[in-house]
Amino acid sequence: MNSARTPAGPGYRPGGRDILGAVDSATVILVLVVVVALSFDFTNGFHDTANAMATSIATYALRPRMAVALSGVLNLIGAFLSVQVALTVTNAVLHIQNPDGTPRGDLVSGGGTALLIIVLAGLTGAIVWNLLTWLLGLPSSSSHALFGGLIGATIAGLGWGGVNWVGSGDKPDGVVGKVIIPAIASPVVAGIVAAAGTWLVYRTIVGVATRYTDQGFRWGQIGSASLVSLAHGTNDAQKTMGVITLALIGSGHWTSTTSIPFWVKLVCALAISLGTFFGGWRIIRTLGKGLIDIAPPQGLTAETSSAAVTLVSSHLGYALSTTQVTTGSVLGAGVGRPGATVRWRVAGRMVAAWLITIPASAVVGAVMWYIAHALGGGLLGAVVVTLILIGVSAAIYVRSRRAPVHASNVNDDWDAPAPTEQRPVAA
Amino acid sequence: MHVFGTELKSIGQILLVGLILGAGLPLVFSAGIRAMAWGTGGDTEASGAGQAAARPHPMGRVLAVMCFVVVLAVVALGITFIVASGFGKALSFQHVVPTLVDKA
Repeated sequence: MNSARTPAGPGYRPGGRDILGAVDSATVILVLVVVVALSFDFTNGFHDTANAMATSIATYALRPRMAVALSGVLNLIGAFLSVQVALTVTNAVLHIQNPDGTPRGDLVSGGGTALLIIVLAGLTGAIVWNLLTWLLGLPSSSSHALFGGLIGATIAGLGWGGVNWVGSGDKPDGVVGKVIIPAIASPVVAGIVAAAGTWLVYRTIVGVATRYTDQGFRWGQIGSASLVSLAHGTNDAQKTMGVITLALIGSGHWTSTTSIPFWVKLVCALAISLGTFFGGWRIIRTLGKGLIDIAPPQGLTAETSSAAVTLVSSHLGYALSTTQVTTGSVLGAGVGRPGATVRWRVAGRMVAAWLITIPASAVVGAVMWYIAHALGGGLLGAVVVTLILIGVSAAIYVRSRRAPVHASNVNDDWDAPAPTEQRPVAA
Repeated sequence: MHVFGTELKSIGQILLVGLILGAGLPLVFSAGIRAMAWGTGGDTEASGAGQAAARPHPMGRVLAVMCFVVVLAVVALGITFIVASGFGKALSFQHVVPTLVDKA
């Protein structure tokens, strides 16, 4: 954090000294924002381990620990590959940045406190929602949680006009064009692709001994899951990088809008990779065992569909939720295999969670902003919001220990124990 | 309303390319496994009652390797695509052979 010592830029004002004496309050708030942003990145990682690895774990293609380790390493590599400037991360949904990535002028006066409080409140909303859905074992989109939290905090801080609802109207943009329509379309598209792939694959291998095919498909699964992990690192880590860099620019500690400080890239890559390695076992269990009883060919088609749909859409400029794409793919893989059962009740719970992700994290984000605002909108507010976040996170963690899910019980049967369940083939 | 038209067109494109890659690759891969099973012979192919266990077919192995090579090549292209877009490059198929070019 060398750059923190050489504040520069129009927004910087060395005033506002407080109880900490030599350090001005905007800098302390900035540090809180960075720490909370990295915590979000961590939850993003462990929330999304399931997207890449749930199917491989469920079919015993990889041991659970091995799977999360592989995914963690690939996320780390992926995060470093994303040197694309992610500075305009909020532009799709908010009006807090200029088109070139610099924050709005009126938000950066006074050391950027106004901007920092919005970002802090938004991140808090996103983390709380990520942890709640993790507790319930529901795969929900971390990107939607982030957007939702920021939208809520922005509405609270700047009014409804601060949100970019539909963009300028001449291209798909705004909350509707960049978030809601892709969110509805992507699971359907991924499901169709996975269903078609699964159907074709099962037609192709009719007559070949299952023992033989499963062995081969496990290798295919590992390959396709690795591709999903790599794509996840490149897509998701840069969102946090963008948010942190936005906060740095807003508080006058960084001026370039075409590059990101290296330490930001490093810590974000480490945070998402560590989160992935930590493994969101609850969500892995739902995605791998809850929706369908997945077999190796289905695992391969689901992950290949996820990788293909995610990569093609990001090529066309749609940052899809990998979570929704994967869930759609897993469902499709269930539909495409003749005779397979799909637990639509579980799928229904997930869809319900998706529908309320943005509103729910927006409400938390807005409440946090109001709390910070009521406490003066400065250092005290930021500290209290951070303490609330720590308290809520601790409470959710304690609650989760009542029925822990971990590497050794992640593959237990979903319904009542069925002794005829498929056993791992000696590998 | 033409925004929705654009959006629908994008979704259609994603579906089409997604089907080619996302369903096509598993198909080629499973064809490879099928060919490998035929090539290996023995009890890899479930034989009907009264049939003798299949003999190995070297041709099957060749076909299988070809299928796996195709899959690996497309995956390698996929990774190149991810890395390239991270470094501000794009994959161009203008000259049939994929080449890296600067992003438009």
